[in-house]
Amino acid sequence: MTPLLPVIVPFGAAAISLALGRRHALRRSLGVLALVANLVASVLLLQEVRDGSVVTVVVGDWPAPIGISVVVDLFSAIMLSVASLMLLAVFVYAIGSSRTDDTTLFFHPVYLLLASGVSASFVTGDLFNLFVAFEMTLVCSYVLITLGGSKPQVRHGTTYVVISLLASTLFVTAVGLVYAATGTVNMADLAVKLQAIDPALREALSVLFLVVFGIKAAIFPLFFWLPDSYPTAAAPVTAIFAGLLTKVGVYAIVRSQTLLFSQDTHSTLLLATAALTMTVGVLGAIAQDDVKRILSFHIVSQIGYMIFGLGLFTVAGLAATVFYVVHHILIKTTLFMVGGLIEERTGTAALRRLGGMLHTSPFLAALFLIPALSLAGVPPLSGFVAKLTLIQSGLEVGAYMTVSVALFVSILTLFSMTKIWAGVFWGAPEAPPPMPEGLESSRPRFPPLMVGSTAALVAASLLFVVAAAPLYQLGQRAAEFLFEPAQYVEAVLGP
Amino acid sequence: MIAVLAVHAVVALACAALGRRLGRHVLLVGALAPASSLVWLATGPSPTEKISWLPAVGLDLELRLDGFGTLMVALVGGIGVLVFLYAWHYFGERPRLVLFTSYLVGFAGAMFGVVVADNLLVLYLFWELTSIASYLLIGFEDEEGVARSAALQALLVTTLGGLAMLAGLVMLAQSAGTYSLSGLLGGPPTGPTVAPALVLVLLGAFTKSAQFPFHFWLPGAMTAPTPVSAYLHSATMVKAGIYLVARLAPAFAGLHEWWRPLVCGVGVVTMIWSGWRATFQTDLKLILAQGTVSQLGFIMALVGLGLPEATFAGVAMILAHAVFKAALFMVAGIVDHEAGTRDIRRLGDLGRSMPVAAAVAVVAAASMVGLPPLLGFVTKETALASLLSEAGWPATIAVAAGSILTTAYALRFLAGGFTRYATDDREIVVDEAHSPAAGFVAGPVLLAIVTIVAGVFPRLVDGLVAGAAGALGSEGHHLALWHGFNVPLLLSAAAIAGGWLLWRYPPRAVQEAAARLPRAKMVYASAIVALNRIADRVTSIVQNGSLPIYLGVIVATAVIGPGVILTRAFRLPESLIIAENSIQAVTALLVCVAAIGTANVKRRLGAVLFLSAVGYGVAVLFVIQGAPDLALTQMLIETLTLGLFVLVLHHLPTHFENIGWRLRQASRLILSILTGVTAGAFALWAAASRQAAPLSGEYLTRSQPEGGGANVVNVILTDFRAYDTLGEITVLTVVALGAAALILTGRGRSEVPHNDEELVGQKGGDDR
Repeated sequence: MTPLLPVIVPFGAAAISLALGRRHALRRSLGVLALVANLVASVLLLQEVRDGSVVTVVVGDWPAPIGISVVVDLFSAIMLSVASLMLLAVFVYAIGSSRTDDTTLFFHPVYLLLASGVSASFVTGDLFNLFVAFEMTLVCSYVLITLGGSKPQVRHGTTYVVISLLASTLFVTAVGLVYAATGTVNMADLAVKLQAIDPALREALSVLFLVVFGIKAAIFPLFFWLPDSYPTAAAPVTAIFAGLLTKVGVYAIVRSQTLLFSQDTHSTLLLATAALTMTVGVLGAIAQDDVKRILSFHIVSQIGYMIFGLGLFTVAGLAATVFYVVHHILIKTTLFMVGGLIEERTGTAALRRLGGMLHTSPFLAALFLIPALSLAGVPPLSGFVAKLTLIQSGLEVGAYMTVSVALFVSILTLFSMTKIWAGVFWGAPEAPPPMPEGLESSRPRFPPLMVGSTAALVAASLLFVVAAAPLYQLGQRAAEFLFEPAQYVEAVLGP
Repeated sequence: MIAVLAVHAVVALACAALGRRLGRHVLLVGALAPASSLVWLATGPSPTEKISWLPAVGLDLELRLDGFGTLMVALVGGIGVLVFLYAWHYFGERPRLVLFTSYLVGFAGAMFGVVVADNLLVLYLFWELTSIASYLLIGFEDEEGVARSAALQALLVTTLGGLAMLAGLVMLAQSAGTYSLSGLLGGPPTGPTVAPALVLVLLGAFTKSAQFPFHFWLPGAMTAPTPVSAYLHSATMVKAGIYLVARLAPAFAGLHEWWRPLVCGVGVVTMIWSGWRATFQTDLKLILAQGTVSQLGFIMALVGLGLPEATFAGVAMILAHAVFKAALFMVAGIVDHEAGTRDIRRLGDLGRSMPVAAAVAVVAAASMVGLPPLLGFVTKETALASLLSEAGWPATIAVAAGSILTTAYALRFLAGGFTRYATDDREIVVDEAHSPAAGFVAGPVLLAIVTIVAGVFPRLVDGLVAGAAGALGSEGHHLALWHGFNVPLLLSAAAIAGGWLLWRYPPRAVQEAAARLPRAKMVYASAIVALNRIADRVTSIVQNGSLPIYLGVIVATAVIGPGVILTRAFRLPESLIIAENSIQAVTALLVCVAAIGTANVKRRLGAVLFLSAVGYGVAVLFVIQGAPDLALTQMLIETLTLGLFVLVLHHLPTHFENIGWRLRQASRLILSILTGVTAGAFALWAAASRQAAPLSGEYLTRSQPEGGGANVVNVILTDFRAYDTLGEITVLTVVALGAAALILTGRGRSEVPHNDEELVGQKGGDDR
């Protein structure tokens, strides 16, 4: 099957959706259909590359380095699959939400293009095309983050846009430098040709790409755009951003560090960055008193864990990273969806305005508690399994400092999750939110689509626990293949 | 075992989902769960079970029941059933019992899991679940701030230890090559990481079993409803740490010379410090809570030795303590329930209103003190004897001293709760109380009967205890009521007499002085305050909301990272041509000047004009280089941008706001220069080190014959890399949609054009 399908399907759907105009029911069905097809295509691809084969196609049927290669290996397929599941779930959630403006002309096409861009980032085998894919996701995210056009959205959106533009500029510069040094932008070709250049130059390029992708992944000290801008967007938008966008950055870091710069292992640098990212992120979360802001800072903190696994440069470590990324995408999206449900019900996400929801909405409390504890790594939830694999692989190579930080940050994570729990679900609100007139009667207490999609993801995270063994095996195999770039190169360039 | 765990899970979920209709009776349904573990135990189950889960990392559901596990399951299940029945009376009809039941069943299941886990990671798993369940239970009265903070305190302290323990367990397993608990104990690993690993594991055990200096969470946990205190904080959860130490000690105590001093030292200090604090509490439950901590210290010291006789005594103490402490807590709850207070300064002659409860209290307290012929006496004699023979005089004396305190607080509990006698200043005294219902006292009475019968006929429980000790490598010891007139008896008698004196004539001055000592609780409180303060500080520094600073940090990172390597390895290329001709040199110079001008003029319009000059200058450079189409594109973009700028400038002040602050400006200047230099040097270096032929040659040769176009740039855009172009077109479309969306919503309009014009400028530039 062509690896371009997850790009084409949502892309085509976006075009049709735009043309459908205000026929909302039709557009909604179309979007769901497209995203289901996207999910199916991704899973089929995963099935195809499970054994370690690499599916590749060159757009326009030019030979490899001339045309743009599209490549799916196991790591890509895993990312595609989990991403398309999130895209579908959040889309359904958005349809149910009263705050998405899902009926505006633009939400559907832009969301679908975002889906296409995310897929394109995961399947590309070309560095410049990766840039284009990033641009696609970014520009869609600019639109989505300001959807609704309130003042704070535009203000924080500006921060987001400006920083992303700077990141894009740096990315283009880096691609230019790589081309200058090697004369190619095909990633498989680069994997070969970068080996021939001055090692110091390669190292400098490697660090530059780390910075470029690090901005996107929101690692320390490049993360500040995230907690400022994410919380202002509508709940479904924040949910999908939180789940996917930074992880595209993580994907790019992993891909570039293992494929392009496999000779230079910046282990110390990455481990230190990981530790700082975890710590600063969680401290930021502790300092907040708003559900969405707390969760936003946790994205940063959790990215640290993923970098940690990569920084070990062992199969076990990288396997743990892959495993962690999947867990995190699932859990983080879910948590933001729960945050959106809280907002939907009460009109606010500020802790001091909330309270006692354990007794008014016990099911919602359960929907929060499971992913929240999972985020903190409480057994037997997915976060525990993922964190355990990280801790084990860290201890195996004696990375005691980073392991200690990771464990300590876990308890701080738990601390800030209990802050939400105690603030939202326990006690009574300090300052009850002013209930808008008619809010109670005008819409259901919990739109079934929102609750349903959230519950489905919670169930998926429990399934993750039950099916930990096969999933971990996938991650482990993906890690093995990542450390054997020869296979990837051969698939793209031929023997 | 898996079936029992499943029953707990099902009952907990079923109660949560369907229990609302049952009212208080949901508690009786909950009792089925611990009852199931007793039934299961009675059926003589197979000793090991295993479900493969994640074998790649050693995480498999391996369960194993041995003698020690049997004792613990009996306690968890037996006391569990009694607690549910007790809670049924305690709560009466009130909302939220559904939640309470689910939590408590969840807890019981987790505790069952802890004592049958034979995989280190599974042990940790259930261990943490008990912490979570305990958090939810302590915070059950969630409107009370005290309950919420006590719950958090318990959770943080035990989880901190838990995570340390996780690291320790993984390290142990990695040295041993197995995650099986029995495998680990069968062949204790050696190696450099074993000792630190054990310390980490002990940290977990100490926090869980409330050992000094982590003891403070347990008295705080007394804000939980009394059935919870009776179950979790006396009989079960706090025994988890002891359970683990008892498991590990026989294998490791002898291998590491620091083990015994550390574990016994901590145990004895805990016993004495908390015993002492118990002697001047005024809340019945707090007396018991501090007493619990003290007794846990005692048991910790015993099992921590890892020697046969002490292990046997420690196991016996676990049983005796669980029985009498559960009874005492239940009685304290009955008093609270019927008299409306637990303050011994207010409680008067309650012995008359509730004689049965008072009698239970006397029996249980006497057992705690170690009076014959009760179970507590039997175990305490054994304990003192074992210490004397295996640990020597210092430990024995210390424990005897701790026993003095035990006697003193036991007397304080009895006299304060049930008589008018008091050593404190009295306030309004409650002499009358409802007589508790028969069912309410049934549980405590049963426990009191067990205490007496097992004391008189120790053979009845000897099998259980000896079996448990046997599983820990301690064979051939048995319980007996009477050991003859010997040193332990003498010590006991002395401790009781001393305790009576201490209670009768409390040393007020010493108590007050001790109360002023720094307390671990305050350390915790200030740690939390400090944590919040650090979090605020760090966040306000890194997340200061200033876009220029954000950009500066990003640019600085991008420059410093590669720049460091650059300064180390950069050499000017040998064939460096500064400029090919004078026009090039002059244009380049003009571009530089214009760039400096952009950064230095005060008027916005001036800056825009200078910026355009930079752009046009670069276009000229393209022309000189022989790329007219590129130059044309650049010119178009520049013109378009300039036009947009002029339109937007209309809405902005004519001058930039005064940046002031020289330092900031200087740092910007330095950063800019560094960025320029780095980028330039990087580009030179990269271009000079190319080895392979670039792709452009391939494009040129294929453009006309295969691509069918004379202009190679066009062929690249529309054929070779058409996929990129599609993406970029999409980008432009989305920008248009976004702009339309913002304009259509009509809000925040003043900021809109500013945004989008930048977008368009950037995208245009990317299209080569």
